[in-house]
Amino acid sequence: MNLKKEKINDVLLITIEEREANLSKAESFKDKVLQDIQSGETQLVISFKNVTYLDSSFLGALVAILKNLLPLKGQLTLTELNEDIQNLFELTRLDKVFVIKDSPETATS
Amino acid sequence: MDKNILLVDDDIIQLKLYERLLTNHGYSCATALSVDEAEKILEDRIPDLIISDYEMPDKNGFDFRKRLLQNKQLRNVPFLFLTSVNDEHFIQQGLDLKAIDYMAKDIPPARILSKINNLMLAVREHYERSLSELKEIAEKLNLRNIPRKAPQLQKFSINYYSKFYQDQPGGDFIDFVRVDDRYTFVILGDVMGKRWGAWFFSFSFLSYIRSAIRLCVYNENYSLSEILSKLNKVLFADELLEDIFSTVSIVLLDDQEGRVLYSGAGDLPILKFDNHEQGLHSFQSSGILLGFTEQFPFDETEIVMERGEELYMISDGMIDFEMNGQKKSDLELFKGKLLGLKVKGVSTETIKDQLFNKNQAQVDDCSIIIIKRK
Repeated sequence: MNLKKEKINDVLLITIEEREANLSKAESFKDKVLQDIQSGETQLVISFKNVTYLDSSFLGALVAILKNLLPLKGQLTLTELNEDIQNLFELTRLDKVFVIKDSPETATS
Repeated sequence: MDKNILLVDDDIIQLKLYERLLTNHGYSCATALSVDEAEKILEDRIPDLIISDYEMPDKNGFDFRKRLLQNKQLRNVPFLFLTSVNDEHFIQQGLDLKAIDYMAKDIPPARILSKINNLMLAVREHYERSLSELKEIAEKLNLRNIPRKAPQLQKFSINYYSKFYQDQPGGDFIDFVRVDDRYTFVILGDVMGKRWGAWFFSFSFLSYIRSAIRLCVYNENYSLSEILSKLNKVLFADELLEDIFSTVSIVLLDDQEGRVLYSGAGDLPILKFDNHEQGLHSFQSSGILLGFTEQFPFDETEIVMERGEELYMISDGMIDFEMNGQKKSDLELFKGKLLGLKVKGVSTETIKDQLFNKNQAQVDDCSIIIIKRK
């Protein structure tokens, strides 16, 4: 699972450097981000600018990360979702659960 | 099961030679010039076989093998040494590291290929045998997340179809709870994930859903929103399901009045083909994934169905398509196909055949329940 991480002020911006976010990557992605949360990162932004397809296993990993973050009063913002992925979030009401922003700039500000 | 091989060798010429030999014979290869590079590839995808040289700078092949043996996800991936270091002592050491074989690079390529072919065949046969044993056990224990048949009702007919992804059971589940002659609950759920892991957890969700329905009905409570609310609270509290989530669509059929009620959690919209307008209507619940948050106000909707009209409950695999090597989720594409078929007036059986991604590669479990008002 290739991830690029940048710290911008208090926010950890994680860019997924994969075209497909799927079952084979979901577990390692979840573990890596949960490690960041354990190390004290609670303001997270995840960028999907390189992702063209996301499956339900990966959606499950994102929900699990958010569920872990909420008791810590943290925030998980998703950004740069393509139209298909944005539609999938809306169709499954996950747009009500996650904060979704158009750009990393608005997500990290 | 695919034929993916990871080749590791610091000699780029050898690496390219073996890559060509294998790809020319139907294998798909990833190559790495060092153990570090190989481990980076393995973070991303797990091959069906790893072939590694012994002598490499920094970490050698034995170091690589020892590291793999400590990794629970990778320790069982078949491993071969292919190396020019052929001292008896090294061969024994390599085999002691649970390598399947230790091959010398001076063996003719045709023989190396035969050995790899035989090994892959044996691995595949072993895998298929295990899979069939598991399926047999599941069958004997009556572990089914898709029922054998739908109930026969007076005012409705129910057809359903479910197809596993890569022939392995997955997270889609279907259930029918016929409470009495009047009420029947139709359930379609999808545990997030694929294959055996999702399949295993689908039984937990199925048991909880059945219990929630039975407990509410016992108190003469047929409210779908209340059933989902109670179910959600229990799932939220279950530590074993802490990181496991499921969508669910529940439809309550009143076989006396011909009424249909629907509620859902994180599910795709239910579609109805309107005979008058010759168009599709979408009914989307407001519920979010079960077990994410303790309190959530689930809604419920009455769907008016006239005689001959059909309702479609679908799992997300039905809207996943792969075309020209690109995967995408596209509900509108699915709706377009369904509408085209309905306008032509084709049978339910044809709809099923056509909708099951006949011309596209399947990328997830696919399930559909078709409820027709008689």
